[in-house]
Amino acid sequence: METADLSHHILSRYNADLQGIRTAVLQMGGLVERQLQDGVKAVVTGDSRLGEEVARTDHKVNAMEVSIDEDCSRILATRAPTASDLRLIVAVIKTITDLERIGDEAEKLGHTAARLADIERSAHRYRELKHIGDHVGEMVHGALDAFARLDTEAALRVARTDRLVDEEYEAIQRQCITFMMEDPRTIRRALDVLWVARALERIGDHAKNICEYVVYMVLGKDIRHLSIEDVEKQLASLRAASTGSVG
Amino acid sequence: MSKPAWRYVVGIVLALTLALAFGWLVGHAAIALAAMASLLLAAQVRNLLRFDHWLHHRKMAPPPDMMGLWAEIVGVTSRLYRRKVFHKRRVVELLRELRRMTSAMPDGAILLGPDREIIWFNRAAASWLQLRRKVDYGIRIDNLVRHPDFIEYVEKGGRGTAPRVHLPQHSDRWLAFNLVTSAAGSGMRLLIVRDVTNEARLESMRKDFVANASHELRSPLTVVSGYLDSLADDAQLDAAWREPVAEMRRQSDRMRGIVQDLLELSKMESSDGEAEREPVDVAGMLALLRREVLARPSRPAIVELKLDSDAMLLGAESELHSIFANLVSNAVKYTPVDGRIDVHWWTDADGGHVEVRDSGIGIAAEHIPRLTERFYRVDAGRSRKQGGSGLGLSIVKHALQRHGGWLGIDSQEGKGSSFTVHFPAVRIRARLMERAARPAS
Repeated sequence: METADLSHHILSRYNADLQGIRTAVLQMGGLVERQLQDGVKAVVTGDSRLGEEVARTDHKVNAMEVSIDEDCSRILATRAPTASDLRLIVAVIKTITDLERIGDEAEKLGHTAARLADIERSAHRYRELKHIGDHVGEMVHGALDAFARLDTEAALRVARTDRLVDEEYEAIQRQCITFMMEDPRTIRRALDVLWVARALERIGDHAKNICEYVVYMVLGKDIRHLSIEDVEKQLASLRAASTGSVG
Repeated sequence: MSKPAWRYVVGIVLALTLALAFGWLVGHAAIALAAMASLLLAAQVRNLLRFDHWLHHRKMAPPPDMMGLWAEIVGVTSRLYRRKVFHKRRVVELLRELRRMTSAMPDGAILLGPDREIIWFNRAAASWLQLRRKVDYGIRIDNLVRHPDFIEYVEKGGRGTAPRVHLPQHSDRWLAFNLVTSAAGSGMRLLIVRDVTNEARLESMRKDFVANASHELRSPLTVVSGYLDSLADDAQLDAAWREPVAEMRRQSDRMRGIVQDLLELSKMESSDGEAEREPVDVAGMLALLRREVLARPSRPAIVELKLDSDAMLLGAESELHSIFANLVSNAVKYTPVDGRIDVHWWTDADGGHVEVRDSGIGIAAEHIPRLTERFYRVDAGRSRKQGGSGLGLSIVKHALQRHGGWLGIDSQEGKGSSFTVHFPAVRIRARLMERAARPAS
């Protein structure tokens, strides 16, 4: 099993270090998840105080990224990890970058929420934002779950849903353009809504990246810039090969 | 040795002696003895083999029918075996029942190992936290439930307030967690998950109601007391009306006080989390309060202030002011004119402390635990006459909670009371600048 594979070291300190890094990444993920959840909520409900709170908390995410980065460098320098351990460290270094970016986008949501609260509200379009926001939240959550469980199938499932988020983003974009053409007075508000949707769409991309790192970490296969169908074909053959060699 | 064992030994000795005697008579003693010994050995080996066979096929074969000591051994063995089977079946049954019960439990339950790894969980926990049976066994719970408040709670080992969180899996649901550690230190812990959505909704409805009601009451009250004020000052007012108007004015002032306190309380309740940390000069605030008390027409004869610290307290100024003002005004209310009030402010390693001690009427021990409840009155008639809202100590308690502090009450009926507020050390900041400057000047 993959889990057993990551915890087979006789050096128990080393083992604890690796486990600690994984836990730290997921802890950072938990904070980012809450930031995202609060950011979306602040925008949708027009809660400027919550928005400011989100913007204020972003420094914690950054601090966690720096600390995990240092831990990874320390392990690379002192333990010279190989094979699956090395893949774990590499995947962690990449994952925290994406998590930090998600944190930045959430901070943006917070700022926008504080601004949007001052302008006249349009109930209809914020519901769209809530929908795409929930969707993206599920993606981030699913990506982190896949990371925790080292579950490549779940990772691919999440990566596949990114396409839906992109479609939703395009729909919101078209809608905003229509509104702006009909009534130029709504341009400012529509632009803000677009900004939020854009931030959420970016977060979806980052979640997809994390899923790709999970696949890389577990199977040692780089699946970036490939279409999902190709990836699935490759992974199926990889899995068949690995079970064949084990059994 | 038991009786069958004795009989067994005696039997063998007897058989051998008889064989010896017979052999001696015939003239072949050695051969007779050897023949008898072989016979006995053969019988023993046969019994031993039968016993061994039965031990291996206990479940199907009935116990072998044997004589003497062998019958005893078989009997004891089969009794022990039956007892073991019975106990095992009972334990298995109990365990199965227990698992069935915990599965059907409305609360979620998760059994955690020493490293917080998941060992077992029930159905409710699985559906709320989206755990997957078998797959998630061995994964640390804080890797799957990643809410920062939850992680903080688990890292503290379950001490501190149990968190109530919205999980991303169920953003419309409030879940409360409780970590239970058994007294015997196996390192295993039980995590209980409860759905508290309804409680949270009721609580927020209550808070909203109080806040809205007091807000709505305030404006009509302002109008009423405004007219009463101008009526009371009206020189042409009929003398017969003078006293009723004055009374109405007093009562409307009291009502305004209550509404004011209710609003303050609900404001504190709705702004959850910690109070801000602006430096507040406690010594200066207490000195000001003393001057206000001294300016009152009827007051205790002695109001002493003892300031043993010039440290700053980090907190919200308005809330700290209402803590101290409520304590001091309570002391003034319940202390006779010839009594005394002592206010003491000091800091030590534990943090900062303010004690308000009076020589007033005191409080009976049974009332003390309930003093901070809203509208709780030791003596309804008396305190209403004193014009309190009945919310003072509730406000003190809430404001203290927001500052991480607590209230200590010590009182003896007839002798006086002492109310002490304690603030944690993290909220105390020494005035380094001034202290450094003082010796120089």
